[in-house]
Amino acid sequence: MIVEKTKLALLNLFPQSEPVAAAAPAPLQEEGEKKAPKKEPPRMNGVMERDYNVHGYHLDAQVSPAQLLDAVAIIDDAGFFIESITGVDWIKEDQLEVIYDFSRYDFDLCRVVIRTRVPRSKPVVPTITGMYAGANWHERETHDFFGIKFEGHPNLIPLLLPEDADFHPLLKDFKA
Amino acid sequence: MSAPITIRPDETFTLNVGPQHPATHGVLRVKMEMDGEYIVNAETVIGYIHRMHEKMGELKTYPQFLMNLSRMDYLGALGYSHGHVLLIEKAAGIEVPERAEYIRAITVELNRIASHLFWFGAFVMDLGGFSPLMYALQDREYILDMLEAITGSRLTYSYYRFGGLYNDVDDDFIDAARRFIPRMRASLKKYHRLVTGNIIFMKRLEGIAPLTPEIIRKYGATSAVARGSGINFDVRKNEPYSVYPEFDFDVPVYHECDSLARYMVRMAEMEQSLRIIEQGLDKLPGGPIMPEKKKPIKIAPGDYYQAVETARGSFGIRLVSDGGKTPYRLKLRSPTYSNMHLFDESCRGMLIMDALAFMGSLDLVIPEIDR
Amino acid sequence: MGTKNIPSIKEGIPSSFVQFALADQLINICRVNSFWPLTFGIACCAIEMMATGCARFDMSRFGAEVFRPSPRQSDVMIVAGTITKKMMPGIKTLYDQMPEPKWVMALGNCAISGGPFAFEGQYSIILGADQFLPVDVYVPGCPPRPEALLQGIMELEHKVSGWKRWKNPEAA
Repeated sequence: MIVEKTKLALLNLFPQSEPVAAAAPAPLQEEGEKKAPKKEPPRMNGVMERDYNVHGYHLDAQVSPAQLLDAVAIIDDAGFFIESITGVDWIKEDQLEVIYDFSRYDFDLCRVVIRTRVPRSKPVVPTITGMYAGANWHERETHDFFGIKFEGHPNLIPLLLPEDADFHPLLKDFKA
Repeated sequence: MSAPITIRPDETFTLNVGPQHPATHGVLRVKMEMDGEYIVNAETVIGYIHRMHEKMGELKTYPQFLMNLSRMDYLGALGYSHGHVLLIEKAAGIEVPERAEYIRAITVELNRIASHLFWFGAFVMDLGGFSPLMYALQDREYILDMLEAITGSRLTYSYYRFGGLYNDVDDDFIDAARRFIPRMRASLKKYHRLVTGNIIFMKRLEGIAPLTPEIIRKYGATSAVARGSGINFDVRKNEPYSVYPEFDFDVPVYHECDSLARYMVRMAEMEQSLRIIEQGLDKLPGGPIMPEKKKPIKIAPGDYYQAVETARGSFGIRLVSDGGKTPYRLKLRSPTYSNMHLFDESCRGMLIMDALAFMGSLDLVIPEIDR
Repeated sequence: MGTKNIPSIKEGIPSSFVQFALADQLINICRVNSFWPLTFGIACCAIEMMATGCARFDMSRFGAEVFRPSPRQSDVMIVAGTITKKMMPGIKTLYDQMPEPKWVMALGNCAISGGPFAFEGQYSIILGADQFLPVDVYVPGCPPRPEALLQGIMELEHKVSGWKRWKNPEAA
């Protein structure tokens, strides 16, 4: 099964940690409890399996920016195609997250999500355009919306915003 | 066919195609560096219709966002709405009655045929033939009449709700759909007689713009772009959702990798959609179209993904929720974005007329690229 | 726009022996029966514009099916779709390139006032074509039906020439 193979290949990037079991879904806030939600500890780098019927993807790998190219190389060798790259602004934790989605063309279905977090003050992530040429536009768009710099990108100019735009609209503290 | 050319770098000029251009299907701009009629380099500039759907996703509540999906790709709008409601239903745990799912599948397939008809008319118009546009849009009007009777609008539907639909189909719709199927089959035969065997058409498309499976994988292209190059990928079969496992249909795959293969894939897809509609109408169960008790939309923190097969490819929505009333982040993965991206690399060395035929065969809708 | 802005050649010529009015009226009626729109579909409303040009709704009954790709050859600019800040200089250039007399029709809610994309915190669109273009006819809808576009053409005809294609049924 490609899910097992890919998970084992990705686990090689994390020699120290043990494989984490399927993550329990975060508890839903009941109507009665109006207390502030208890802060969950930040997730450690690692690979976990997700329930496809709830979340829609199979494998979830959180890597550091330094490990990103190795993780994507494993995915590329396994024959996945790049679905999309996007960002999320976690302003409360002062971090920006970049999410990479990969999937397969054959009937051996496996959706892989690779995430990486960078501090908001210095968001620099290596580019994967060397391996996936299609990452070019996705990274430009993420840069447009969040200001994340992809070092090594051949042409990091605005894609969807006007050429002279200097604002990043999807940041949570953006004022139009 | 493009013969290898010797590029004379000091003799090139820059030609700007778009953003206002009859062949670009919207506001798309391609800066082409040309050596005579051959393209040396092309750079696509998009963003002329960036309408901030993802920002609106963060500011609007879940039901308020329903209208946005139709404006993204207006030709195949129901497919996008389908993906959105499936995602929210999956994330919030809302059950959908079976009748609603069957009606959703039937209307999505009708919309797919309408979208392909419009593509067909516009594509042949790009190549210079104006008559098929008239016939194709006339056939499309039958579909639009049917959908207007139940949804209320011709183009930008907001028909699906979380849990089902807001309006049930009546016997008029079912009769009209049953009468439409043989009429559409006859029309498809007419289009093949009129267009497909035409010698000029074949010469314009055969062998033009070959796309290898490797370049398609690197760019993540889907739909007829992938199926015309031998990749058997259709989200309805590879990653089934809704009631598609109940239907018996084929996925047309051609191996020639050229523009003609992509054209043939879409024409065959229309026939398969007719099969699905027929089976859907036969199997349509009775029952309610919305769940008995209205469940409030509460989504646990986390992220969720749903992919559906729209007329243009695999549309994906990623929802990052923090438990609030509005999504924390809503990412729309548009298929045309990935399909268009491979244009820059593939059109080097082509004649400009071949490049425009290639663009037409990619089936572009620009507001979907720009979101 | 319309009849008032056409540079008048009547000044200096005593009206006692040269009467232009009838020729003007006739020329205007000929103008409105043959509007040549610029193919400027931006977004969803462009599809309804194309559907109006096709067989069922048939804009050519009104003489307006000759969509010209070049602004130099057209006289009506149908702004069909949302105008973004990135696109706006292009639209202004196209408008400037059209020769006089020229008119503008704002088709759809986005071209009238930003439509559904005018929300608090928006950063990318212009709230309507009349922010930078002189609009003659507004056709509301999202998207407007092809019949509404035809009504817009008829309103423009009346505005330009004063001639009504048929009597207003409510006034009869």
